[in-house]
Amino acid sequence: MTEFLSPQVRAEHQKVKHTKALLVPLGFLGFYFLWTMWQISSMKPDEFRTGYTMLFYQLPVMNAILLPLMISVTASRICDMEVKGDTLKLLYTVQKPGSFFDCKYLNGFRYLVFFTFGQGLLILFFGSIKKFGGFRAGDFFLYLLTVLTVSAVILIIQQTLSLLSENQLFPLGIGIAGSFLGLFSMFFPAPVARFVLWGYYAVFSTVGMDWNKDTRIIHYYEIPFPTRKFILFLAFGIFIFLLCRIVFTKKEV
Amino acid sequence: MLTRCIHAEKQKLRHTLILPACILIPIIPAVMGTFNYMQNLEILKSQWYSLWTQHTLFYASFFFAPLIGLYCSYIWRLEHRYNNWNKIMTAPVPVSDLFFGKLVWILLITLMTQLWTGILYLISGKLAGLPGIFPPEIVIWILRGTLGAVPICCLQLFLSMKIRSFSIPVGIGLIGSVLGVLFNNEGIGIFWPYSLMLLGMNSNGTKDTVLKDFFPFLISVTAFSVFFCLTAIWNLKHQDVKA
Repeated sequence: MTEFLSPQVRAEHQKVKHTKALLVPLGFLGFYFLWTMWQISSMKPDEFRTGYTMLFYQLPVMNAILLPLMISVTASRICDMEVKGDTLKLLYTVQKPGSFFDCKYLNGFRYLVFFTFGQGLLILFFGSIKKFGGFRAGDFFLYLLTVLTVSAVILIIQQTLSLLSENQLFPLGIGIAGSFLGLFSMFFPAPVARFVLWGYYAVFSTVGMDWNKDTRIIHYYEIPFPTRKFILFLAFGIFIFLLCRIVFTKKEV
Repeated sequence: MLTRCIHAEKQKLRHTLILPACILIPIIPAVMGTFNYMQNLEILKSQWYSLWTQHTLFYASFFFAPLIGLYCSYIWRLEHRYNNWNKIMTAPVPVSDLFFGKLVWILLITLMTQLWTGILYLISGKLAGLPGIFPPEIVIWILRGTLGAVPICCLQLFLSMKIRSFSIPVGIGLIGSVLGVLFNNEGIGIFWPYSLMLLGMNSNGTKDTVLKDFFPFLISVTAFSVFFCLTAIWNLKHQDVKA
């Protein structure tokens, strides 16, 4: 299957063979499965008609907690072999540092695609077996797109840190700190929250929630997708990618 | 022999990044928790207790176990490199001492992290303008949280010993923690090792829920810790290492 890919990308595929790196997104998907089951078990039958809306509101919160660390673990897992084996100098005799960085990134990105696709299937699976209402294809697509985009930008940072650090303690520490910041940023005023990259899972959410203290009724409402903000975020992601690529390629090995 | 192993671990940990991680990471929940407390003063009216929930809810629920996972992965890092497993397994010391030598340091670092969290809580409270000093039971909650952390330390140390990857045990720690929240919400937290620290810290409420069930809590902490330690030592004794 990999014979259609460039030799460099194929080499990255071969490097991660038997490392069981796929178990990381798979394990997290397994957790999302359990968590969604638990959420559904506590729902009243009349809440099923807003089931999809509830998922699109709650999943970004879970993503902000879990995904920064999942991404840092994945990046560390696929980058640590060159660092551990101290093989970069030898590798650069046959491959340009920039190409190595790009191929590594592509390799990490496919795990994110796998995870996002898996999460999409989970949403549809639970929605169909529990007959959830409130499905909007646009929301579903935007949800998957934003999960993938935010994760892809975080992956750039984590990959660069994992490749630059001889010790994986630092990038994983940043992953934990990112999870913290992402979660807390949801409670911050919007002007402050916009500076926290890890919190963007929730920033791009298309569902808001209003809880009435007196009646104890939860009301979900639609939020227009912040297209301008998303385009700016994409531009920021491209800028970060180029910056990280330059920093990595300038590194003395 | 155990003393020698502890001393050897101390030398390995010198000039490493563990101390900066132990100091810097707890600052994040402290700053964020205080900020959140200040933003919601009209709802959070129990002063020091409210600040405690803001400081420790997310810290104990989600991030403590990955942090311990990070420490444990770091402490086994040297053994997983090159052919060091061969060297360490042929050292003239019992394998149980090798494991306990590391466990002692993990417990010490955990205690330091917990005390640092307490100090940050005090500083944040004063900066937030809270009167006096925090209630004395907070000290008990911190110490009891440390006790609840012992099984997590034993389990994460075992996982990091078995799994050569630095990062996978950290991810397992996060998933274990989040499942711990679910177990705790169902009232069965005592049967899941990752929930015990959350229970001990009493971080999701101002009323002490463990006080009346302290004996089962203690039994659970002891049983899980002994089980994970015995499993790790059995594994070291009976399974061949992959160097």
